[in-house]
Amino acid sequence: MQAIDISIIYVTSFAILLVGYLIAISCKDLIRLLISLELMFGAVFMSLIPLFSAISNAAFGIAIITIFTSSGELLVLIYAIVTLDRQKKSIYTSSVTIGGDK
Amino acid sequence: MGIEMLLLSALACTAVLSSLAVLLTRDNFYASMFMSLTLVMVAVIYALFDIQPVFVLIVFIFVGALGMVTVALAATYRFAPRRQVSWLWAVPVVITAFVLAVSVYAAQLAPIEKIQFALQGFITPEYLLLILFLISLTVLLLLSVLKLGLKEGEGGRS
Repeated sequence: MQAIDISIIYVTSFAILLVGYLIAISCKDLIRLLISLELMFGAVFMSLIPLFSAISNAAFGIAIITIFTSSGELLVLIYAIVTLDRQKKSIYTSSVTIGGDK
Repeated sequence: MGIEMLLLSALACTAVLSSLAVLLTRDNFYASMFMSLTLVMVAVIYALFDIQPVFVLIVFIFVGALGMVTVALAATYRFAPRRQVSWLWAVPVVITAFVLAVSVYAAQLAPIEKIQFALQGFITPEYLLLILFLISLTVLLLLSVLKLGLKEGEGGRS
């Protein structure tokens, strides 16, 4: 793996991560927030690629842990979206207030 | 510039462009489709480096299961499109991107050895225990969410 390959991987990963952050901080509904989180996890998966050339088995272990953990987090968020829709009849981020009270 | 390098550049460009499309599109459904495309591109880059097990994990679990649930949710909550980009927040993001780009450029990344991953080397009792533990944790999580949903359903009927 050449140095320029690693640069491309890192730059792409950072670009996707930053786009994910920008979507997360400016989103108006929870679906867009879920999408941005998945994008950010995708960027994390991508940044793991260079690790495979140094410690491949440990890198695969880290990848498995990351995939399972992120899947769990996203499942909880999906359930939270459905619950919020049932309770507030809305999935806009503006309907989520501090402490649950308006 | 070799063919692998060109392919990697093309895949990386497609991934970044599709993530930008997620940012710029107004419709949640199209945003989720572009998000799935980005994740598939990330998985294809893994396949390019001959790491097929992670390709399978990302495509089947992340895109195949979670991505499709997200697409279904986005298709369900497909509101009247509203612009969802705050250009004010783009300023700190651009500054961070600039700092990261300078860091990567100044780091002078040394070439590292070729990736030679074999799944056989990974199958040890410790890692199998880890995978078993993670699967059990996910099943427990799913069961607790299911139980919560059933309780709510019973509460709603009574």
